[in-house]
Amino acid sequence: MSLPPVIVSGAALTPYGRRKDGSGFRDWAAEAFEAALAMSDLECGDIDMLFVATESDFFSMQLNPGSILASDLGLVGVAATRCEGGGASGQVAVHAAVNAVASGSAKHAAVIGVDPSASSLSGDAIRTLYGFSFDAWTDGMTGVTPTALYGLSYQAFAAEFGTTNDDLAAVTQQNRENACYNPGAHLGRRDSAEEIAESPMIASPYRRLHCSPLSDGAAALIVSQGSALPRSRAGAPQVAGIGAATDHMHLGARSSPGHFTAKTRAIKIACQQAGIVPDQIGLAEIYDAYAGAQLQALLALGLSDQPAQDLRNGRFAPDGRCPVNLSGGLMGQGAPVGATGVGQTATCALLLEGRYHSDLQPKAVPQYALADTHGGICTVAATTLLRQAVAA
Amino acid sequence: MINHRLTLDYVLAPGFFAPFIDGLLTATAWARRCAACQNVSYPPLRTCTCGEAAGEWQKLKGQADIVWRTEGVDGAFALVKFDGADTQSVVRLQGIEAHDTRGCLYRPDGDAPQMVLGPISQDMQT
Repeated sequence: MSLPPVIVSGAALTPYGRRKDGSGFRDWAAEAFEAALAMSDLECGDIDMLFVATESDFFSMQLNPGSILASDLGLVGVAATRCEGGGASGQVAVHAAVNAVASGSAKHAAVIGVDPSASSLSGDAIRTLYGFSFDAWTDGMTGVTPTALYGLSYQAFAAEFGTTNDDLAAVTQQNRENACYNPGAHLGRRDSAEEIAESPMIASPYRRLHCSPLSDGAAALIVSQGSALPRSRAGAPQVAGIGAATDHMHLGARSSPGHFTAKTRAIKIACQQAGIVPDQIGLAEIYDAYAGAQLQALLALGLSDQPAQDLRNGRFAPDGRCPVNLSGGLMGQGAPVGATGVGQTATCALLLEGRYHSDLQPKAVPQYALADTHGGICTVAATTLLRQAVAA
Repeated sequence: MINHRLTLDYVLAPGFFAPFIDGLLTATAWARRCAACQNVSYPPLRTCTCGEAAGEWQKLKGQADIVWRTEGVDGAFALVKFDGADTQSVVRLQGIEAHDTRGCLYRPDGDAPQMVLGPISQDMQT
């Protein structure tokens, strides 16, 4: 079933990183929202609903963040909903907003994703909390970390597809190279394969440089009914399809622990709504919490049958057939959890409009872009397809 | 800056999972056998992968093959397959050497019910 026209009228991200300037998550949310609202040519009074994505109250010491941000942002009176789906929280919020607009419940809905994942708690405390992103009574109680679970899943994938540490290095280098051209990125850097291989082991096979960083930041979207769009926003991209799905919570209950099956289900739904096949996707922001997870995602999303080889032959490079993680991805741009999915979709929207950072903006803008997000060990997957505005 | 320290002591009721949780504290592996497809899940699934919710508790021997293992700054963990189970389990490895391919369920050190796999002693192998 195709979606009624839902337009991304505004999109913005704050810089991601470890903020040391005395600002807090409410400041970042306001910064992102104000920029997205300005881009949309709408006023606060035009916004009917607010969807807020944050992963954990323990990051911010704030329950009910939807109401808090509605108050901060001048949106008192609107319906405010907090959305949570682990690492996919931001994309889950995007879907909630798109559904609200598509159903006619809202003409314009705002989505804010925000988390202080870097500055509010120690890295050890955050890792402990993340351990409970999995089944807290089984896997979580063992003290297993996300890196260890991803490491186990990737080993199953690598055994099946023959990927190597060189492939992990290639993903790492490409994403962080892209991030060097993104002024809002947390971790743009150029490491040699040797430097990556010599970085500290976190959970084999993953070394520190194979992992995405913990970041602070916010992102915002305004999604609007096509009929309510200001004339100035006629060039704004449309939401072509959304799809979300889940997988077994226990890695061990899955028939293929190396496969991100929830993503395959999610992209199938999104592509059906959009009336396209994955091969028509011309750029993608992929959930690369770890280098190997990007390879697993590319396969699951149908963007490649042989992701490591296609990475090496340039298919996913900035000038390739389907550039992946031009932003730098989670590994390069950073990962303020609640903001991540919102930021991925915002990035796709800005790229499709030709408004992205000039050094990363493709000269030939593709018709379709994919934002791919997941939570847990791809226990929940949420994908959003955007389409370039149809010329009047 | 706003400094705040929060200490929380949780007491969680295990409900349906009580046999599994209680079993971990005595190094006994209580799994769930599906009434429809007879698949045995460990850790137990409230609803089987086939979709059936009805089932019964079944005690496993408690020994497992290591399928994949990972080691790092937070210790060693593995995806293992317990004898008699059709699903795999994530466990913490304790005292298992890199060349070991099997282990058995151990009683956790603290009060928290953990899935810990340790070495199989000679008398256990018989």
